[in-house]
Amino acid sequence: MLYDLNIAWSPTTPSSELECTLKFAKTLGYDVVALNQTITGNIPTQPHPISNPIPQITSPHPSFPGGGSSLATNSTTTARTPTATTTNLSTTASSAVPPTTSSSLPTVLRRVTLTVTDPSTTNYRLADFARSYDLLALRPTNDKAFSWACLSTTEPPAIISLDLTQFLGFHIHHRTAMAAVHRGTRFEICYSQAFASGSSVDAQRARSNFIGNVLGLLRATKGRGIIVSSEARSALGLRGPADVVNLLAVWGLGPEKGTEALGTGPRAVVVNEGVKRRGFRGVVDIVQTAPGGKVRNEEEEGKEGETKLSKKQKKLQQKQQQGQKGQQQQGQGQGQGQKRKNGEGGGGGADGGGQQKKQAK
Amino acid sequence: MVRLKDRYLLVNIVYTDLPPGQKGSVPDVLLYNQPTIGELRPQTILKGIRSQVNALFGDCGSGSVERSLQVKYLSTATSTFILRISRAHYRLVWAALTFMDRLPLKDGRPCIFRVVRVSGTIRKVEEEAIRRAKLLVLAAKDEMAGKASPSDALNALFRGGKDSARNLALVNDDHDDAEMDEGEVSDG
Repeated sequence: MLYDLNIAWSPTTPSSELECTLKFAKTLGYDVVALNQTITGNIPTQPHPISNPIPQITSPHPSFPGGGSSLATNSTTTARTPTATTTNLSTTASSAVPPTTSSSLPTVLRRVTLTVTDPSTTNYRLADFARSYDLLALRPTNDKAFSWACLSTTEPPAIISLDLTQFLGFHIHHRTAMAAVHRGTRFEICYSQAFASGSSVDAQRARSNFIGNVLGLLRATKGRGIIVSSEARSALGLRGPADVVNLLAVWGLGPEKGTEALGTGPRAVVVNEGVKRRGFRGVVDIVQTAPGGKVRNEEEEGKEGETKLSKKQKKLQQKQQQGQKGQQQQGQGQGQGQKRKNGEGGGGGADGGGQQKKQAK
Repeated sequence: MVRLKDRYLLVNIVYTDLPPGQKGSVPDVLLYNQPTIGELRPQTILKGIRSQVNALFGDCGSGSVERSLQVKYLSTATSTFILRISRAHYRLVWAALTFMDRLPLKDGRPCIFRVVRVSGTIRKVEEEAIRRAKLLVLAAKDEMAGKASPSDALNALFRGGKDSARNLALVNDDHDDAEMDEGEVSDG
């Protein structure tokens, strides 16, 4: 599975051209792509529940709410409906294609990139954006915004995507960058930015800026926590995966890490964000219901993250059984109660036997 | 006796739009694998690559690929060519190919140069070229027969079957070359 988490999209993009780009991405070997809307300037304050203009072209990714159809457990989907209705299935455009025609299209996610200049005006809207889009990326333009995006957002953004063709004007520090990586943020390199054609001075300048910034980013992160995407504005901005890996190998990211930056790295981002949006408070998720108390051992792709979370949850339960007191514990207790409620609702739908795996234990 | 070690790159020219003046809808397989029209000759390809290497890596880069870069085979019907380049510098040439976005002709059509195979011997590259040409014919036939789902041949052609990592495996794909016993390729 290869990922390309940035294909440029704007409300004026004609749908025929978009389809052409998506088909070509699929042909080159990318299975999951994200359409990216970049919002520059001030963050709009007006529409309060932010509407998502990007059309949902294919059925959602299996990790995201509404995309569980391929996982195909009836009781799970019924249990999941309360969360699914509250999330981002709404869109202003209604050009959803039935999944039968989408075999030549990759799975499409919807992503927003916010250009951040002054962090103090942006922070309170981040959660709203994260709710209405599948992925949230930040594009800091100065030192202050960069360290804010790396260190002090309330929720770590999924992706930090710098505009590498500009002269950054600040130094990417190893400590800041790695702190962001440890929080779960990934740094993005958009290779199509470097393909600005023409031999004008500007294009040359952009290209050398790009290479310099890529080197700086790779030095600061030591190649960890990097994902590679295209930011292609048309089909011609896309390149084959092997070509991209080679390009990064020339610039100092080894082929193994380059392959990872196209495959497992972005996959982790997608699955994590999916769990955040699907699970209860971004932590608890129903992995599988156990009909009749039996636990089935079906492992499916895209489920590893959730099983890990369920282990975490088990630990929490054990802690609670030890009877410790404290505010934090109470908070978790509330979460627990609500989760039980959800679980019971789902269980009722699945002829009484559909209890959660975790509860069955 | 020390041999000169080379890499052979099998490169596909991929188009994403119809030639100017032609309209109508074409199946995707045929759209991406159009024959190359116009007087594309080995010399023009070399010239284009050299100028791109020069733009990217400067005199130092173009000097180092100057001697060993050679077009071994060019087929405009399948839009395929094979390059030979010394092993130390094949990534430079590959990066230059990645940066090229149109044919190196006057008013060249926009296209993408996609490296589909890297090998240490020309035999393996030839075999791969023949395999791909065969699959392409099969895929085109399937497409014209009107199969709704992408056929097996098409998948095998573009995706390397189910194993999508195969596309990337060619990055270090030197293992089928028995003579390359020492000094396996390293980065850069």
